[in-house]
Amino acid sequence: MSFERILFYLFAAILVFAALRVISSRNPVHSALFLVLAFFTSSALWILLEAEFLAITLVLVYVGAVMVLFLFVVMMLDINFAPLREGFTRYLPLGAVVALVIVAEIVLVLLRGFDTLSGGAPAPKPADYSNTRAIGEVLYTDYLLPFEIASVILLVAIIAAIALTLRKRPGTRHQDPGKQVQVRKSDRLRIVEMKAEPRAGRAES
Amino acid sequence: MIELLIILAKIILIVGPLMGAVAYFTYAERKIIGYMQVRLGPNRVGPKGWGQPIADAVKLMFKEIVVPAQSNRYLFLLAPVLSIAPSLAAWAVVPFGDGLVLADIDASLLYILALTSTGVYGIIVAGWSANSKYSFLGAMRSAAQVVAYEIAMGFALVGVLIAAGSLNLREIVLAQQGGIWHWYFLPLLPLFLVYYISGVAETNRAPFDVAEGESEIVAGFHVEYGGMAFAVFFLAEYANIILVSMLVSLLFFGGWNSPFEGIWGLETLFGWVPGLVWLLVKTSFFMFTFLWLRATFPRYRYDQIMRLGWKVFIPVTIVWLLVVGVAVVGDLPPWWG
Amino acid sequence: MLDNYLPILVFIAIGIAFGVGPIFAGFILGPHRPDAEKLSPYECGFEAFEDSRMAFDVRYYLVAILFILFDLEIAFLFPWAVVLDQLGWFGFWAMVVFLGILVIGFIYEWKKGALEWE
Repeated sequence: MSFERILFYLFAAILVFAALRVISSRNPVHSALFLVLAFFTSSALWILLEAEFLAITLVLVYVGAVMVLFLFVVMMLDINFAPLREGFTRYLPLGAVVALVIVAEIVLVLLRGFDTLSGGAPAPKPADYSNTRAIGEVLYTDYLLPFEIASVILLVAIIAAIALTLRKRPGTRHQDPGKQVQVRKSDRLRIVEMKAEPRAGRAES
Repeated sequence: MIELLIILAKIILIVGPLMGAVAYFTYAERKIIGYMQVRLGPNRVGPKGWGQPIADAVKLMFKEIVVPAQSNRYLFLLAPVLSIAPSLAAWAVVPFGDGLVLADIDASLLYILALTSTGVYGIIVAGWSANSKYSFLGAMRSAAQVVAYEIAMGFALVGVLIAAGSLNLREIVLAQQGGIWHWYFLPLLPLFLVYYISGVAETNRAPFDVAEGESEIVAGFHVEYGGMAFAVFFLAEYANIILVSMLVSLLFFGGWNSPFEGIWGLETLFGWVPGLVWLLVKTSFFMFTFLWLRATFPRYRYDQIMRLGWKVFIPVTIVWLLVVGVAVVGDLPPWWG
Repeated sequence: MLDNYLPILVFIAIGIAFGVGPIFAGFILGPHRPDAEKLSPYECGFEAFEDSRMAFDVRYYLVAILFILFDLEIAFLFPWAVVLDQLGWFGFWAMVVFLGILVIGFIYEWKKGALEWE
């Protein structure tokens, strides 16, 4: 067995274990951290497939950004998880149906696609091969329309996020640095001219 | 097997000096800030206080690691590991000279960005697992801050990529060859400033140290840590500072290229200096700047930090990306003529 | 290419060892004299009167979501930056459109006050 194959089975085992712990651990923070581990090991598997750019982007986007949001939510929502667990049996049939549908879909795809995919491991690339360059050469030319649509989807996501979560709290104070810089002396200070007054209680001499 | 041993030896060659640098950087920090505040700094242990970092390390080793009763034991002890592993592993792709690199991968810059973005887990997990209000506040502040500055940092890096046309750190340095006026800090000056300031913010250093804020939340996310568990956080923070300094030298200041390249007379006069020395001199300067900033500026207020990250840095970088893009595609002189 | 990633795998393992090792050493070398006061969470001299895990302001989630969106945008920028010189003006304008649409979103969140902290 080649070294790469050993690594593959090692990472795959960690990935499956982490994925199982995501749904089986009682503490939601543990679940989220196991999901981080799962993303990390899948990234390692992608590197074994020579998909360098995608693997590192997976870490950058999912581990570095998406999971931070997940952790924020499970750490800060301060939910009591006992009542949530009570609903488990009630939702079990529905969940099982959804899981079955997903499994069926995966099986359908794999059954048809496996013949073309079973060419074994991808050909090893030379050390100076640039995965990023290869993606860049097609993404902004051949796949221009999907690329621009992606930006529209991101725009929709920005607007949706703001519409859903932005709450103005009354009574908050904001600092406007633009206004602060533009303040002139005349706005704040009034110089009054008046005659000098003789000091009281002292004889003039 | 032999291959693995060679890799291990190389890693020790990187991590060993790095740990030494961290130890004496803490000494330099106390000494330099001491002098800036007209104090002497540590001067008791060994001649001129040279033994201070070793004494500190030994002391920390024999201190009790207190695990708070209401904390989440495993996560509490996992947090320092989550903090140091990425800050060390990022060094795998840092080139110290032309060809002097442990792992010469094509996407090395992307790799560093990805790894440094995972460093935030150490802080969040530490803050949450300790079950203390101060550490939780520190973790939340730090996470939101790191998140805001990482975007500015990413945009600034994209500018460097456009200029160099490569993701590989070695190729980025090679693209800056040919004299000090070819170094990217000139054509990419706004991006250099954004990157360095974001680097200071990402490492939670003064004046962006609201995550620790000794006078507000008494050391923030690692308030409950003691002994070696604290020392590991400390190592990670300082390894990150040195990493940011070295990246700034590599990306914007020509890496191991001599500053006298192309200057008649001086070039031959300093021709014998190895490239690694130039790189280390530049890195030391930026490490010194970290201390200089800390001794000079008062702490930023939290809303000001968020404003700087989102409302100043991101617009500046987007505009400058387009400027660099036009210059590169249009082959505009003086840099891309 | 995979050969270049082996050192990284080893380095990550070493990094983890560098975290676990000192903590382990600290547990062996350091004393263990726990008492109730020492193990209680740090407060300003009084008893901790409530659990420290409290609900936080919703704006933290908003910042995190916006961060994800901009991080994705950066992921799209990386391959573009590398091949820009080959793509020429066509590639440049493709990205101007992409960034332009996202800048609309950025201006929207700015005007809505999503970036304001008090």
